[in-house]
Amino acid sequence: MKCPECGYEAPVSDFRYLYNARIDASVSIRQCIQCEAWLAVDELHGTASKKIGPGEAPWGKSAGIEDLADDVG
Amino acid sequence: MGEPAISIVEHEKRQEWWWAAEKKRSSRLDYLRKAIWKKGAIGGLYPQGLYVDLERPVLQTEKARELESSPDPYVIKFAKILAHVLDNKTIFITDHSQLVGYLGSLPNTITWDPTLAAVLNHEVVNDPTCIQEPLEESLKIISEVADYWAGKSDLDKIMPYLDLDDAMKVLSGAIGWGVPLSRGGYSGKDYEYIMTGVHAFEDIIEELDRRIDEADEKAHEPGASKEISDLYDKMNMWEAMKIALEAGIRYAKRYARLARIIAENYETDDERKEELLQIAEVCEHVPAKPPRTLQESLQYDLFIQLFSRNEAIEGAWPARPDYYHGPYYEKQVNVDKTLTKEEALDLAGEFLIRAAEVSQYKVKWAREGLQGIEGTWVWTLGGVKKDGSDACNGMTIALLQASRLVRVANPTFAFRWHPKVSDEVMREVFECIRQGLGYPSIRNDPVLIANAMNWHGHPIEEARTWAHQACMSPAPCTKHGFQPMRMANATVNCAKIIEYVFSSGFDNVVNMQIGAETPDAATFTEYNQVFDAWVTQMKTVFSILVRPVNRARILAPKMTPRPFLSAISERSIESGLDVCDPSISRGNAWITAFTWVENADSLAAIKKLVFDEKKYTMAELKEALANDWQGYEEMRLDFVKNAPKWGNDDDYVDTIMLDCLHEAAKFSRELKCPSGNSWPILPENVSGNIHYANIVGALPNGRRLGDALYDGGISPGPGLDKKGPTAVLKSCSKIDHISDGRAFLLNQRLSPTQLAGEKGYQLWKTYMKTWADLGLDHVQFNCVSDEILRNAQKDPEKYQEVIVRVAGYSAHFVDISRKTQDNIIQRTVQGLG
Repeated sequence: MKCPECGYEAPVSDFRYLYNARIDASVSIRQCIQCEAWLAVDELHGTASKKIGPGEAPWGKSAGIEDLADDVG
Repeated sequence: MGEPAISIVEHEKRQEWWWAAEKKRSSRLDYLRKAIWKKGAIGGLYPQGLYVDLERPVLQTEKARELESSPDPYVIKFAKILAHVLDNKTIFITDHSQLVGYLGSLPNTITWDPTLAAVLNHEVVNDPTCIQEPLEESLKIISEVADYWAGKSDLDKIMPYLDLDDAMKVLSGAIGWGVPLSRGGYSGKDYEYIMTGVHAFEDIIEELDRRIDEADEKAHEPGASKEISDLYDKMNMWEAMKIALEAGIRYAKRYARLARIIAENYETDDERKEELLQIAEVCEHVPAKPPRTLQESLQYDLFIQLFSRNEAIEGAWPARPDYYHGPYYEKQVNVDKTLTKEEALDLAGEFLIRAAEVSQYKVKWAREGLQGIEGTWVWTLGGVKKDGSDACNGMTIALLQASRLVRVANPTFAFRWHPKVSDEVMREVFECIRQGLGYPSIRNDPVLIANAMNWHGHPIEEARTWAHQACMSPAPCTKHGFQPMRMANATVNCAKIIEYVFSSGFDNVVNMQIGAETPDAATFTEYNQVFDAWVTQMKTVFSILVRPVNRARILAPKMTPRPFLSAISERSIESGLDVCDPSISRGNAWITAFTWVENADSLAAIKKLVFDEKKYTMAELKEALANDWQGYEEMRLDFVKNAPKWGNDDDYVDTIMLDCLHEAAKFSRELKCPSGNSWPILPENVSGNIHYANIVGALPNGRRLGDALYDGGISPGPGLDKKGPTAVLKSCSKIDHISDGRAFLLNQRLSPTQLAGEKGYQLWKTYMKTWADLGLDHVQFNCVSDEILRNAQKDPEKYQEVIVRVAGYSAHFVDISRKTQDNIIQRTVQGLG
């Protein structure tokens, strides 16, 4: 897997696993051990899609209410 | 040119409740709210600017040294150390305040009690965050104090008397929480004795003198018996109680003197001078004598809480403030008209602020488990009186209104709902929820009263006096019903139960055998074998945690006495026994069940995918878990998405949840506390779901090591309750909330947009009616939009005052870790209606 931030390449398991905030998706957050960026990782395909900044939610929105309330977007 | 001022209405429209509150509250409350320091740890570390207070440990140590050669029994020495602290600690009065008293010597200090545990003292020595400059000088003092108490602290003294095997497993941190100490946990109080305006400190001292005289006389009459021998211990205990109470009165009088000195010599503002003289009068009167006014009642209560925290580290604040302060409010505001509603609101708000600033140094694991707050100070409001009539009063409303003005995250409220609560009060409750405080949580009073009678045999009049001991757990405030100490280590990290089924009880995270050596899960060919192994692991883990508490409760009266708490407890005053003595308590123990729902979801996934559909073998599953699901992502997703999940009104998994609860309830009846009562389970979490994330290995519900666990109690996994709020309630209603456990926490997220206006109130009221009709005992709400929470992550400085419900407590959103923040955001927002 390649870090989109610094280009560091290594097997997925070498990127520090932080957590999977949404259990029912295959997106997790891992940390690049070279540049320490938090990365959104597709665990199924072993690819890092982007760096995660504060307030970003790569795993999608809250479930259940999308059709019912507009504040969840 | 600055930005144009935004009106209160506009702030409220934007759901910026904290800015609206700042503009709505009185100038006094605004000053006092901003004059306190935030004490809750951020993540696990104390915020910048706070310091460990070294004054008290130095006072305690110097007095202990002085008493080393004294012939006094331990309980009297202990009381003298407490008195020495109260007589000599620095006191101050905050500008504009009407209530006085603080644990530390300065507002930005955290008090450290070195007499409790050497492990705590080691954390202070190594703390990187809050040791005051000059560092070398502070470290020298800390080291000297820590060295002195090594081997003398409560835990050091208790440990040799515990089962070493159990103790090691508890201290591994894998399955439990806390330590078995009578001076480190949650202390209920005998409020029916001390807070009803009948007894105050001088009355009790008089009673103690009488009892000492009588015992002394009896001890010297001709004759000899065990009863006479016991009298010497009782006289010592009574003497220690007296020392503690007298010190409390002197402490209050020091404040009276200070207030007078400032008023008469330094204060130039006439109005403030009057207030200071009023403070002096109040502190001359209470706690020596019963309170006469609302200010005296609140001050009296505050003194009691502070004295008790000078005696112990109290991680909770059991209280029923509207019930016990309400009569003074009613008299002054509604009858005598000597206090306006606005003045009462200021006092209520200040009471919350004074409580919010109290802080005691805790070990890091405790700080991590209670992110953002100092302890679980869940104050109980509402409910019924002893005769079953509605207990709500003007103080109930004042406290609810005050909480919206001062917006502290601790204390929070839990509201005892019952069918007779007025619409006026319910609207005040709703307004707190709608304004995003995350509290009050709502408790079903009839259900919990019946529950207290069922599990612990509390008579109905006593059961009706119940107050929260911490986040969730009820106990009466009566002579034999109140719980003087809940030792927090009977708190189970229940996800370990299902984890141990796959490791035959070996804990791969802490690398030791903790659970039972059940057969190799890879060999299981039937679901029943899995469930049987689960039951064995559950019984083993529960027992490991309960045994040390039982043992410590028996040892507590002699080894770790509580003279002050005993002195405000009728049963101790009468008997001359320490308040923790099990022989004078009915018993109200419970096992807090952290991370519980993972068990039901995991067992359901195993039953369906391994045994019903035979898609995988137990050996394959064991292998996938041993590899933390690495290389098994498709299989992991199968276990998440294609297995029934709790909270969707699906009998497949709901039945498994009931099977687990029934086994636990059955075993709870077999486990006995030293008073002979049961140990029911109580599923809830605080922020243990984050603390344990790196301690619990991969689970069959699809979770990896490091992932947050579910947010607790009987709340469905975040985002896994996909069938709407009624389905959640229906799943939860399959549990018997009277006999399956002591209480069950349910987190729900609601949409702030939906709750707007009168329509929002009516929607919520309908939801609450369904909740009550279904017989659930608890529910609590987060009502802050994703947008605000995400913005707070991006720009924390701008959103310092956003409050969220974490588990049984609320916290400022910016004070909790990113992982906890994300966990809250991922909770399903339920659409009502």
